[in-house]
Amino acid sequence: MQILLIEDDVEAASHVSSGLREAGYTVKHCVDGATGLAAARAARYDLLIVDRMLPQLDGLALVAALRQADVPTPVLVLSALGTIDDRVEGLRAGGDDYLVKPFAFAELLARIEALLRRASGDNRHVGTLRVADLEINTLARRVTRAGRNIDLTTKEFQLLEYLARRVGQIVTRTMLLESVWNLQFDPQTNLIDVHMSRLRQAIDRDFSPPLLHTVRGSGYCIKDPGATA
Amino acid sequence: MCGVTIGVSALLLSVYLLIQRAMERQVDLVVETEIESLREDYRSGGRKRLIDVLDKRTDDWGRLGAAYLLIDKQGTALAGNLPAWPTMSNSVGAWREFDITVNEQGRAVNHPVRAAVVALDGNRLLVGTDVSERRRFTQRLRAMTFWGIGLTAALIAITGWWFSRRLAARVRAIAQACDSIISGDLTRRLPMGKSADEFNQLTGTVNGMLDRIEQQTTAVRVTFNSAAHDLRAPLYRMRARLETTLQGAVVDGTASRAVQATLDDLERVQRTLATLLQIAQAEAGGGAMPPERVDLAQMAIELGELYALEAGARGLTLRVAAAGPANVNGHRQLLAQLLTNLLENAIKYVPSGGGVDLQVTANGSKITLSVSDDGPGIPEMSHETMVLPFRRLERDQGAPGSGLGLSLVAAVVRLHHGQLELLSTKPGLRVSCSFAAAA
Repeated sequence: MQILLIEDDVEAASHVSSGLREAGYTVKHCVDGATGLAAARAARYDLLIVDRMLPQLDGLALVAALRQADVPTPVLVLSALGTIDDRVEGLRAGGDDYLVKPFAFAELLARIEALLRRASGDNRHVGTLRVADLEINTLARRVTRAGRNIDLTTKEFQLLEYLARRVGQIVTRTMLLESVWNLQFDPQTNLIDVHMSRLRQAIDRDFSPPLLHTVRGSGYCIKDPGATA
Repeated sequence: MCGVTIGVSALLLSVYLLIQRAMERQVDLVVETEIESLREDYRSGGRKRLIDVLDKRTDDWGRLGAAYLLIDKQGTALAGNLPAWPTMSNSVGAWREFDITVNEQGRAVNHPVRAAVVALDGNRLLVGTDVSERRRFTQRLRAMTFWGIGLTAALIAITGWWFSRRLAARVRAIAQACDSIISGDLTRRLPMGKSADEFNQLTGTVNGMLDRIEQQTTAVRVTFNSAAHDLRAPLYRMRARLETTLQGAVVDGTASRAVQATLDDLERVQRTLATLLQIAQAEAGGGAMPPERVDLAQMAIELGELYALEAGARGLTLRVAAAGPANVNGHRQLLAQLLTNLLENAIKYVPSGGGVDLQVTANGSKITLSVSDDGPGIPEMSHETMVLPFRRLERDQGAPGSGLGLSLVAAVVRLHHGQLELLSTKPGLRVSCSFAAAA
């Protein structure tokens, strides 16, 4: 997987690059907007990570220019501007996700993975989602495991669906708050954990093997033990 | 306006009265002069001469409009052009007023006469003059005066109405501009009128003041944003460095704990910074996003559900009573932030076993969102200062938190033109925020 990182803060960029390389990605780094835009047009990347404030060409202008040129590569916008509007502006300009600095590296990894999967289009499936013997009917909003009905609240169902559409991927707490509760800021308390332990009780307590896993320092993940990862 | 009408009316009335008085005086003067001259005639030539003079004068009736009558002690008419001593309609001192009937072109016409009577050695002489001309003139003058008063009043009323409408329209325009400035649109200016009047002078000055305020606010915002940006960049690098360090294999337990603790502190600094930015955004008018329709009842139910488990885990009961829809026009994320701040405060400060009530009520045009608890509360004397940034109660100094929670709540309420109220419920605290319902 090829990632183009356009970021003027060289030290920060080198940390991100080395982290990403460690995670198995190939990273090219550009330090300003103009070079970044040229690079993004010249070669095909799987993902762009664009800092919002760049010399020569502002990050959002760069994304807009790319979209104008019909380059569909998913873009993750990084920004030191953190108000809610900045985020919405970033997404409107054509960014696919927006992450406010400073962020936990795990958060960045999870979001990159989510964007890459989304680009390959494997989470848009409508109907029944299956993870091992867990079945989630997204239309009837019914969940069964090993043929037994599991009662879930609306929010529990939404959490499960979000995770089940991303089998094997790490989903962070922030991603869950954004998608299930439509909150674009982090509450102070670790609210998601209590909800996830509820959900785990519902789908894993009376069954084996466990499907819902906590990933330390990152978030959560639903894994299909039978599938080859 | 009323004063001008009264003034003009008084002026016209006094002019009328003065003219009327002057005219009466003039008539009296003519009669008095005539009497004086006749008295002179009497003195010089006796009754005989007087009768001669009178006989000569009476020919002139009709041209001069003068009336004479001389009678002796027995009341017999000796000279003059009146057939008999008239029945007086009105007598003041020597003055008499009465009507005489005169034949004018075959028609009997009444003429009012004002006359004076003098005694000349037992004879009585009446000298009068026809005042019908004067009466007509007075009547016309009176009519004109009243019309004048009426027209002036009408004219003043109309111009007054027009002026007040114009004034009201300008005041309305200015009030509207002020409203949008109050709600954070600092680029707005008061509208200038067409004429160079005092209003425009004032508007110009106020606009100059607004320019200055906008400059300063922009300067503060730019400084604030750059500061936030400049702080975030090193925070970002620190964090990246520490995370890289943690991932390295050479870190032992103690060092790893220290790094983790530093990361946690960084997280807190970042949060405070984010909250400050959000307060700044709310104070600056909510940013670029237009307000949208937000159902606070729905939001309360969803966030109540989000927090219920956490509250339960801490031994608290969180009850939500929200009957929707309770729509307001506002900024969804900022309102959600307001609600989470209130819930987090309650959950943080209410001891285990306590209760928290989240209520949203729609009462006509007003929507009230309140969070009540039976925790330690906030002393009433501190209610006002608690909404200022970084204010915390002494007893809470050790507890985690930035002291910005209620400031953000207050800023968001202000942005939405709502009212924030802190109420000591003994025990506990009730924080309620009221907003205008969306139309």
